[in-house]
Amino acid sequence: MTHRPSIFLRSLSTPLILILVLVAFLALATFMNSGPFNQVVIDGLVKVTLVVGLYVFIGNSGVLSFGHIGFTCLGAYATAWLTIPPLMKKMALPGLPEFILEAKLPYGLGIGFGALFAGAFALVVGKILMRLSGIAASIATFAMLAVINTVYSNWERVTGATSSVVGIPIVRVVWPYCLAAVVSIVIAHLYAISRSGLALRAARDEAIAASASGVDIGRERLIAFVISAVITGMGGALSAHSVGVVTPDTFYLNLTFICLSMLVVGGMNSLSGAVMGVVVLSVIIQVLRQFEKGVSLGGTVVSIPNGLQEIAIGIVMVVILIARPTGLTRNQEIVWQGWPFKRVSAATEP
Amino acid sequence: MKKLLTGFAGATVIMAALGVGIAKADDIVVGFATASSGFMQAYDKPAQDAAMIRIDEINKAGGLLGKQIKTVAADTKTDRAEGAKAGLEVIDKGASLVVVSCDYDFGAPAALAAEAAGKVSFFLCAESIKAGIQGVGPHSFSASVLAAVQGATMAEWSYNKKKARTFYRLLDTWTEYNKGICDGFDWMLPKLKDAKLLGQDTFKNEDTSIAAQITRIKSLPQQPDAIMLCSMMPGVVSAVKQIRAAGIKSMILNGSGVSGGYWLNATPDLSDFYVPDQGSVYGDDPNSAVNDFNKKYKAATGGEPSSQYVYPGYVMIDVWAKAVERAKSTDADAVVKELEKMKDEKTLFGPRTFTSTLHHQNRGRYLITEVKNGKPGVVDEWTISEAIPVEYLMKK
Repeated sequence: MTHRPSIFLRSLSTPLILILVLVAFLALATFMNSGPFNQVVIDGLVKVTLVVGLYVFIGNSGVLSFGHIGFTCLGAYATAWLTIPPLMKKMALPGLPEFILEAKLPYGLGIGFGALFAGAFALVVGKILMRLSGIAASIATFAMLAVINTVYSNWERVTGATSSVVGIPIVRVVWPYCLAAVVSIVIAHLYAISRSGLALRAARDEAIAASASGVDIGRERLIAFVISAVITGMGGALSAHSVGVVTPDTFYLNLTFICLSMLVVGGMNSLSGAVMGVVVLSVIIQVLRQFEKGVSLGGTVVSIPNGLQEIAIGIVMVVILIARPTGLTRNQEIVWQGWPFKRVSAATEP
Repeated sequence: MKKLLTGFAGATVIMAALGVGIAKADDIVVGFATASSGFMQAYDKPAQDAAMIRIDEINKAGGLLGKQIKTVAADTKTDRAEGAKAGLEVIDKGASLVVVSCDYDFGAPAALAAEAAGKVSFFLCAESIKAGIQGVGPHSFSASVLAAVQGATMAEWSYNKKKARTFYRLLDTWTEYNKGICDGFDWMLPKLKDAKLLGQDTFKNEDTSIAAQITRIKSLPQQPDAIMLCSMMPGVVSAVKQIRAAGIKSMILNGSGVSGGYWLNATPDLSDFYVPDQGSVYGDDPNSAVNDFNKKYKAATGGEPSSQYVYPGYVMIDVWAKAVERAKSTDADAVVKELEKMKDEKTLFGPRTFTSTLHHQNRGRYLITEVKNGKPGVVDEWTISEAIPVEYLMKK
């Protein structure tokens, strides 16, 4: 009788390859040692965290969520509340409770609490929303995003309403962002191969059969919802520290759609798709931006008009989706089975 | 998948190789981390053009500290995260002065990047007190005048020159800028003997009808002498139109947000309408140098300045270059020190004062433009009798 290795060992190569890709970017940024390039990499890593967070819920449950950027907003403001110097907070956000007004935590803790805050919120909201399925669930998550945005845009004394909240410590080194992206990949992978993750994917593919086999769909969805909220909340907190300013409109439709596009282009049912979608689209965006500024090729400067980048990226996405409707990774995971890489269907074996 | 991996690895290397440009060591570099796409471009571009004109003038006159001023630019795309990148990019290219977007919200990320790198940053025309020490740090400045000064100027001027005694305050709650105008008005009003506020109301810029607000004005026992209208484009046009269409004849006082004649076709025969301007875009500035500047601007860009928000860009380079000359260095701390010594420093568009607590103008000379039968023209100028205290502005 042949011994089959555990699912953990069999699927280990996927997160390792993805982590290696991110570490390669970290190394490249360290090697380049250029401020703007660092910021580009940081921005990319924050997006990886956000999109991996989205994948945990959308990929495993099959329910398209428009609301996760709401958790990003919660995470970003939570770390702002905790890490802004008390003097500035008392002037800008006098409505915060006393113990938060006095707090001045290091950014690491701020990010941690931001993630937990988003998770706790998701637990409460998810308890209700996860009873819905299909398009109703999607619209409900969208409604949640709108509610969060409206509250944060108007609660003057606590969120500063639409004004920018400043004073958040800015972190310009790349490794914390890389670490966070790696942690989110590890969490997402462990969840995907866990009992709950398998049950949820079973429910995604065959709801009735899964239900008949004893899967409590609502419960499994709630678990995925909370985990993905923690990751997207962490991503929000990171984005606050990468720019140093938060406003509610940063965390609204634009960010929602760019993150969803990255996930769909990569392949929304696989973790590899989530990471690759971000990497590929970010690289294309950067190359186009370079062309907007003008690139000298063999003595002549080639440039495209300002603003064309947004149009071009739209076209690129359409082309990718026509050629590969299930995303760049065809909804499969990248695995290592000797050189070269192989793809394995995420549906049958993560 | 291997192809995909090598593909993006190749792309990154190309991108990285393209990334860096280096300035000559003996130039002084001014970096513009401003919007050249997105809606902020409409605000940033004109002020930036004006800044370029001043830079040109300085370069033609022999440069700064004997060196030529070189400019580099990075597009913020009217996006905050891109703004931070743009700030870092111009710093990377050696900028000693980082010029950031007109609006505080959109300029702050780049200004914060400059602050962290120990560089001087200037908001092109932000009018919130946060655009400076209070919202960025000790190396940050704004080239314009606080919105509150506009409200205070209109209140005091109309009281003294137009004998206005009864006022009505109508606030569009859309932006901080609008609130700022009304804050200045609120501060000035109690200082004016016998001046009375008959009432106040709010509306939202996007409201298509302000009929309810107008009804409340009309049903006052006595019509106000003046309406302080704290609003901005685009909603203000419709509000003004409705007020006049309802037969309210009171004079209308405004902030500089309605500066410029480009929108007046929409309100034909508008009269008794007053706007504070730092300089006149109508060719009738009492200072002929301003009219000459307008011609230069037209020659450089092909059009007259559309509003007074062109001018702060020119002022910015002017005061910064003076500070660099006096400090004999572009070192940020030395330049800030010289800027903070400026007291009523003459510029083409009114005096400028910077102190160690405020890198903005809480007092300033304004031209008063009157719109009469749909035609704008400068009729007066006014400087408020005392500066608005920083503490008052911070509480707001």
